[in-house]
Amino acid sequence: MSSRASHLDSLLPALSGAYGPPGREAGIRAALRRAVRGLGTAREDALGNVHLHVGGKGPRLLLSAHMDAPGIIVTRVDSSGLARLSILGPMSATDWIGAVVHLNGVEQHGVIGWDRPKESKDSREIEADALYLETGLGVKQAPKKIPVGTVGALHDRAEKLGDLWCGGNLDNRAGCAAIVAALRGTRGLKNDLHVVFSAQSDLGARGAMTSAFGIEPDAAVVLDVAFVGESRGGDIALGKGPCVGLKEEGFLPHPAALDLVKRAAKAARVSFQWLIRESSGSDARAVRASRSGVPTALVAIPARKTGGPRVLVNAGDLEKTVTLLRGIVTTSYTGTRGSK
Amino acid sequence: MSADGAPKFREDVLEAISNAPGVSGGEEAVRAILAGYARDKVDSLEVDPMGSLVARIAPRGNGSSKRGPHVMLCAHMDEVGLMVTAVEKEGRLRFRRVGGIDPRILPGQVFRVGAEGIRAVVGALPPHLLPRPEREKVTAPDDLYLDIGARSREEAEERVSVGSYAVFDTTYEAWGTTRKGKAFDDRAGCAVLASLIQRRPPLPVTAVWSVQEEVGLRGAAAAARRVQPDLAIVLEGTASGEAPGSPAEEQYPYMGRGPALTVQDRSLMVHARLLDVIEETAKRRRVPTQWKRPGVGGTDAGRIAISGSGVPSAVVSVVCRYIHAPAAYLDVRDTQRAVSLIWHTLDTLRKEWP
Repeated sequence: MSSRASHLDSLLPALSGAYGPPGREAGIRAALRRAVRGLGTAREDALGNVHLHVGGKGPRLLLSAHMDAPGIIVTRVDSSGLARLSILGPMSATDWIGAVVHLNGVEQHGVIGWDRPKESKDSREIEADALYLETGLGVKQAPKKIPVGTVGALHDRAEKLGDLWCGGNLDNRAGCAAIVAALRGTRGLKNDLHVVFSAQSDLGARGAMTSAFGIEPDAAVVLDVAFVGESRGGDIALGKGPCVGLKEEGFLPHPAALDLVKRAAKAARVSFQWLIRESSGSDARAVRASRSGVPTALVAIPARKTGGPRVLVNAGDLEKTVTLLRGIVTTSYTGTRGSK
Repeated sequence: MSADGAPKFREDVLEAISNAPGVSGGEEAVRAILAGYARDKVDSLEVDPMGSLVARIAPRGNGSSKRGPHVMLCAHMDEVGLMVTAVEKEGRLRFRRVGGIDPRILPGQVFRVGAEGIRAVVGALPPHLLPRPEREKVTAPDDLYLDIGARSREEAEERVSVGSYAVFDTTYEAWGTTRKGKAFDDRAGCAVLASLIQRRPPLPVTAVWSVQEEVGLRGAAAAARRVQPDLAIVLEGTASGEAPGSPAEEQYPYMGRGPALTVQDRSLMVHARLLDVIEETAKRRRVPTQWKRPGVGGTDAGRIAISGSGVPSAVVSVVCRYIHAPAAYLDVRDTQRAVSLIWHTLDTLRKEWP
């Protein structure tokens, strides 16, 4: 346990700090390729996914976690040198207020502000139009240095607050770190394991769709985060272990894949909680519907939104997720045999 | 050949296909013109099951063993328009919009219905006959109708039928370097693509003139699965941002300032390295370019990019004023620049990709 904890203690800050908004994942791609060195054969595909073939005998099992993080794109620079923005991914305009961003390509930082309406109440139900990006570059330099189309992401490195991890990119760098930690030192793979760190998940599971098409797995487990307040019929909570998805918009798990996760949890003695949500958060839908269908299960790390650019994840949940993932890759997928 | 070694823009093709009708799902007339034009210029020509026109061209012998990536160039043939849904007993035609036509611009417009181009007016009562509060409002499209001047259902049905398409009644015109016509979104891209196939490219190219883009990027999605390219560049006619009263920084892109490059839209994050190649080629060849507005719109490239195990994709657009409306403007210097930019980009790709 202690060695795994130390892995996460260094992995999570490193991975969460890497640059990687949707479609511009070069930074996190490089960080992940460093982190998985020696664990298998890694390559980058046409959409920018990282595909790691770990190997092992048995059915082809895909373990997929998205690596892209919330992003913004400059739509214009106004006459005062402030940039106006469009948002890449599902993070709300409200949550961007106050965020410090890293604009890649130009190696420039900036902060996101909000044109607070003078007369109205602070309801904070706002549109992206009301946000601006201040870089301090000024009227002359801003249009040249951060032209239309400049992409940015949260400049944020996860840190530990007691039992909690706090960071802006934990959705889904927590999942990426858990996979890397699980792969390190794991022996006795019972499946031919393929790992994908997918790109452009926040724009509609685009990377997961194409990587699953290319790999043609026999079964898949998608790892993501799930937010407190999302699950119906018994909400999820931090500290109660990883979530196993029963339903989200466009996705129902395949019984055989769900059976794999349940058997692994039992063998590894990891308690988990059920996730039932109406939102369409994860890549699971795209993987499930790839080609003629892939038996897929969803595992999610519980997380809490702060109403700002950062989210919180429980360190114990993350450890348990690592343990569950190790169980999954060392449990053989038996297909529809033995599943109800 | 143009001055910079790229093929010359074929304005004759633009004029012919701009004037032809081709609402989504009814692209036959446009396809026939393009097929007739392309037939002797390509190695194979087929119409796929969706109706897209697919032309394959092997690269010119360049003495090098490096074949280069297989590039799909794609422009959509369909335009926004109307479809007749019912003929009423008074002879009026009810219709549905096909694609994103702005209801504000419909009343009073003249359309051409069906293959024969029967003229029809979108009926609207003159202001004399309207209650005062109604005069300030835009009529809902469901309350509008097409009128071919018939006095009864029988009379109307002699000339048109349910399912007929209608297009804006607009004829192509030239003035200086400005061109006026309907459906420049995306006949401009179609004509740029037609111009490119006049000569053998430096790498294998499949040209796709796609169908049903305006109703959900359908034709290109199917074509991409068939063609399975290594790379894709989509050629579009896109909206100019020029508008009176807006701050200058909001008015881009501009007609006449070169092809617009996309970084991101609702359907696509443009592949970073492919975009770099296009930008570098533009700089080296001194083709002026501008940015398309991020965050809005979507193109065939969005579907091509996620087909199969993924295709690096980009979009190059000719900036047009007033797309999805009766008449658009473009600048023929921009269409030539788009031809040049793509042509030279193909050369760069042969040398530098992957």
